[in-house]
Amino acid sequence: MTRHVVSVALLWAVLTAIGEGSAFLDLFPAVGSSEAEDFDRIFRILLIMGTPVFAFVIAVLAYSMVTFRASGPDDAPPAFRGEGKIPRVWLVITGALALTVMIYPGLTGLRKLQSDPNGYGWSDTQPNLFIHVQAFQWGWQFDYRDFEGQHLDFSVLSVGGNAAELVLPIDVGVKFDINATQAPYDPGTNPEGGVLHSFWIPAFRMKIDAVPGRTTTMTVKPIELRGFQDDSAFRVQCAELCGLGHAVMATPVRVVDRAAFLDWVALQKAAARK
Amino acid sequence: MWALTTVSGGVGTGLIGFYLGIAVSALLRMAFGYPDPWDRDFDCSIGYVFGLVGWVMGIGMWGTWSREWFGLKTRTTRVQGWQRYFSFCTDHKVIGIQYLTTFTVVFLLAGLMAMLIRAELATNGLQFFDKQQYNTILGLHGILMIAVAVAAMVGGFGNYFVPLLIGAEDMAFPRLNALSFWLIPPVALLLLLTPFLGGLETGWTAYPPLSVQTHTAQTFWNLAIVTFGLSSILGGLNFVMTIMFMRAPGMTWGRLPMFVWSMFVTAWIALLYTQGFATALLMVTLDRIAGMSFFNANEGGDPLLYQHVFWFYSHPAVYIMILPGFGVALEIIGHFSRKPFFAYKYAVGGFLGILGLSGVVWAHHMFTAGIPNYLHPPFLVMTEIISIPTGLIFLAALGTVWMGRLWLTAPMLFALAVIFNFACGGVTGIFLADVPTDIHLQDTYFVVAHFHYTIVGGEIFGMFAAIYYWFPKMTGRMYNERLAKLHFWWMFIGFNVTFFTMHWPGIQGMNRRIADYPAALNGINLFVSLSSFMLGASFIVFVANIVYAWARGPVAEANPWSARTLEWQTSSPPPVENFESPPRVVGHPYDYGIPGSVHSVFGDHPATHPAAAAGAASGGAAGA
Repeated sequence: MTRHVVSVALLWAVLTAIGEGSAFLDLFPAVGSSEAEDFDRIFRILLIMGTPVFAFVIAVLAYSMVTFRASGPDDAPPAFRGEGKIPRVWLVITGALALTVMIYPGLTGLRKLQSDPNGYGWSDTQPNLFIHVQAFQWGWQFDYRDFEGQHLDFSVLSVGGNAAELVLPIDVGVKFDINATQAPYDPGTNPEGGVLHSFWIPAFRMKIDAVPGRTTTMTVKPIELRGFQDDSAFRVQCAELCGLGHAVMATPVRVVDRAAFLDWVALQKAAARK
Repeated sequence: MWALTTVSGGVGTGLIGFYLGIAVSALLRMAFGYPDPWDRDFDCSIGYVFGLVGWVMGIGMWGTWSREWFGLKTRTTRVQGWQRYFSFCTDHKVIGIQYLTTFTVVFLLAGLMAMLIRAELATNGLQFFDKQQYNTILGLHGILMIAVAVAAMVGGFGNYFVPLLIGAEDMAFPRLNALSFWLIPPVALLLLLTPFLGGLETGWTAYPPLSVQTHTAQTFWNLAIVTFGLSSILGGLNFVMTIMFMRAPGMTWGRLPMFVWSMFVTAWIALLYTQGFATALLMVTLDRIAGMSFFNANEGGDPLLYQHVFWFYSHPAVYIMILPGFGVALEIIGHFSRKPFFAYKYAVGGFLGILGLSGVVWAHHMFTAGIPNYLHPPFLVMTEIISIPTGLIFLAALGTVWMGRLWLTAPMLFALAVIFNFACGGVTGIFLADVPTDIHLQDTYFVVAHFHYTIVGGEIFGMFAAIYYWFPKMTGRMYNERLAKLHFWWMFIGFNVTFFTMHWPGIQGMNRRIADYPAALNGINLFVSLSSFMLGASFIVFVANIVYAWARGPVAEANPWSARTLEWQTSSPPPVENFESPPRVVGHPYDYGIPGSVHSVFGDHPATHPAAAAGAASGGAAGA
């Protein structure tokens, strides 16, 4: 018995060691925002915590299949039923594991995610760029509202694979207010109808659904000067099945430095005035 | 031929009912002054209700059951052989086979659809299908597999083996049981009609407002689900009553085989929660045909209402799918480890714990749906807690295997694979239960990989374990063990390569339910597609083996596995009344290797003792 326990423990240790290597792999798409850093860190923590659990099951199963095999119905093993301490110890250990994952990184991560009572995002920096998002079948409209107190009044309409981009400045908190609509509408009027969509930017690891009749919000803070040309994770992608155009309901995202952003804003404002 | 007459009779009365219903609804619409009496969605819905009644009456419910409501004498048709399977037969063994063959065919059909999906996804862009066809195939694959997962184990093995395992002659309500099965063909018909009525757009979850706005196919789909739900609820009620009141003398709760425990808990979940699914789709139907606005935000409705009602069933539903998988895995591990079951009471506690918690975790499907912030923590906490009772199932499985004498037959391999696969599915579940990671992974291929690990890896592997384990009992014939093992390793490797890899594109930003994706994900998707074709090909081995064995396989003995439970103590296949003399249970079902221990006695004779049976069966040659 002791020999088997030691052997299986060794096997478990080896499998765990191999499995934990996965935490060092670069599994993730490009990191585009501070939220993405938080996600990647928590994902790795869960991977590190989950690996020994999976490895334990594999170790016991594989070891038993090799060591305790028989070629027919052979009823002569030690007849223990497991009514002693082991189940209680198991219960305590699994309970402790569940509690741990629940508190850290679960609830602690959630607390950080919800640190802004008005928003839905990791960053505790105050947002300085406000964008209203309209999701419709099948495209997006981004109404730029306000940047550092400066009123903006232009919109970017992305539909049918046109060249429109969502352009964001680096190191600035951005707050999105999201509505689902039947078709793009003028700011100030009531949105009509529409179906569910989901506003997702893989490089930022954040998504929130667009729901008819509600306004949902999401805040992000881009930290990398990259764009869709560098990595396809820099895109707004609809992530809630919204009909036939669902797959192509995507818009490139480009993160630029402050000066370039101001230039771009000036250009857009000029275009909007015409 | 009798079978042909009865089925065409049912179809005939069904069609008469359908057109009668259409006429009634059109007349009513005319009477109430609607400008257009012919509204396809509305008239077809009313017609369907009449047609459904016509069908079940025509197929035999009228003769065997409903006549007595009007003071007439009921008639039972005594047909023998394969024609029984086309009758309103109340024998639970016939109904079990009806369910199993129906859903095996559905499983293979929906599996073929998965192959089509993977063919389209092998590279970016659209190659084989347009978006409409793709979404229809995707939606049908989803809902047909859900139907298989919900009904194949419960309806098939549950019906066939629960009465046998508890020593009963039949289910508590045999006629209700037959009705549950005969409600299924209309479901299949409605679902298979959807491609011709505009196709499906919404996937199997049918979220409004899209499902309110889309084609007539959606109405047919809704009616199919409501009917399927009715069948499921009736089945659940029947199992609860059977297990509570039909157990043989001495079959105490503490001696109940694991598969029966899992069916008991599953049946409670089906009975308690299925209404949610039916209600959600009834509301969608009413929004569509009666102009109600449950989900229309402009008229005071709320699309999120649907998701709450829908997941209030559809999360417990995943336990309807997985618990029979656990049950059959524990059952088989119990017999093929040849040693007493480890921590029996804790495993039962695990099942009951899951039953208790299954109804309070649903909103973890909605973390990114725009629900208020305060709803996140409780559902995160409850979802993590449900891993504790699930852990007890693992304790029992691993403890039973440990230091046993493992007889690694095909059913045992499949049963062990259930534990392996579900461990992976359980660990990836943590990433989805944790809100901070879920907000990126929600609605991606990570989720697709996760739920295929739990449902296919857990339940479908369990279903194949059960098919191989009980095949000799159901058919009286034995399959080829080598081919069965080949099927196992082929399917196991194909499955794990396909779905383990599939997590990665999800993390990388590939969302679900799409026919097209960014070109950067081409390589990984080609790999997943190729390995999924390998997985798909493994079922050719299965079909060949089973079809040949059923027709020409060597005759199986009554107890080829030298197992102790009651179903093996009668002939293969069992007689109509199951046991020649009523069994009495005197001991625990899994006490292998305990001297003098006996599970059951018939009359005055103790049931075949496993050790003696092992000798008599010349070393279990039947299994080799």
